[in-house]
Amino acid sequence: MKRIISNDYVTMLLRLYFGGLFIYASLDKIASPEQFARIVFNFHILPGSLVNIFALILPFTELVAGVGVIIGFLYRGSRDYLMLLTVVFIVAIGINVVRGVNLECGCFTVSSGAKSAGLQLIVRDLLYLAPGLFLLASRSRRWMLDRLFF
Amino acid sequence: MRHWITQVIALLIISTVLALAVNAIRDNGIGLVGKWPSGFSGKDPVVPPSAGEGDPPFVTRDGAAALYQSGKVIFVDARPLEDYALAHIARSVNIPYDYLDENWERVIDSLDHDREYVIYCSGDECESSLLLGRHLKDRGFSHLFVFYGGWREWQESGLPVSGAQPGAEEK
Repeated sequence: MKRIISNDYVTMLLRLYFGGLFIYASLDKIASPEQFARIVFNFHILPGSLVNIFALILPFTELVAGVGVIIGFLYRGSRDYLMLLTVVFIVAIGINVVRGVNLECGCFTVSSGAKSAGLQLIVRDLLYLAPGLFLLASRSRRWMLDRLFF
Repeated sequence: MRHWITQVIALLIISTVLALAVNAIRDNGIGLVGKWPSGFSGKDPVVPPSAGEGDPPFVTRDGAAALYQSGKVIFVDARPLEDYALAHIARSVNIPYDYLDENWERVIDSLDHDREYVIYCSGDECESSLLLGRHLKDRGFSHLFVFYGGWREWQESGLPVSGAQPGAEEK
């Protein structure tokens, strides 16, 4: 298993998929910062004064780290940061499912639709973690920009 | 380890510089500190960023409580029926904004247009109180207030509630 994962081509495919996922996820948020700030606010986790700055920077960290994973620049940091971010998302969504917050409107509700939507997000994010875990196990370091610098 | 941390810090610095630069030059950039309501209405009512001119006036928790005690206003709960059924502001009526249909419109039309109404929802950035306020205004109601602090502020303040939730007996 480890040999398959460490195969240069398999690793490159995983890098493209994992990095691409986050690049794709970042573009929408970068395109409409105001809507994303509202989503961040709706999580009711950050104080209001930090909402905008967080909403501005977070998508760019996804973009930069996503590109980093693909081109192999700041590779370890990028890969692990994206995995950590996914875990943080899962925890944040989990907190709100337990609290009964509907993340679409940010309102507290007992409606079962909101709860299942939250659980679906968690399952989706767990699936996002999988390619990251494979990359963690891979020993392949081919086609990485880092090798030119470090 | 040091190497790893250095990489993450470098990543964050690059992202921050990029984010701030892009935000500064783009047309739809946002302020670094937004005007998000902090939760509780103190002297001033909580007003959502989406509120605009011509919207019904917003009231604070104390304002809403005073109106409640006057006994002259009708409280309108804009949340879904299942939330309302669990517990709501005592003597409030339910008009679930998200589920408005012809039948609900008939209910709205049957309400006394000359009475005063205080509209609320969950109080956690739900927009339905404001949206229902606009809708009622369009329907010819003119004595409307939106209590944006809503159910959460009311309940946390120990004001009169009723419903099926334990401890929510009519007071």
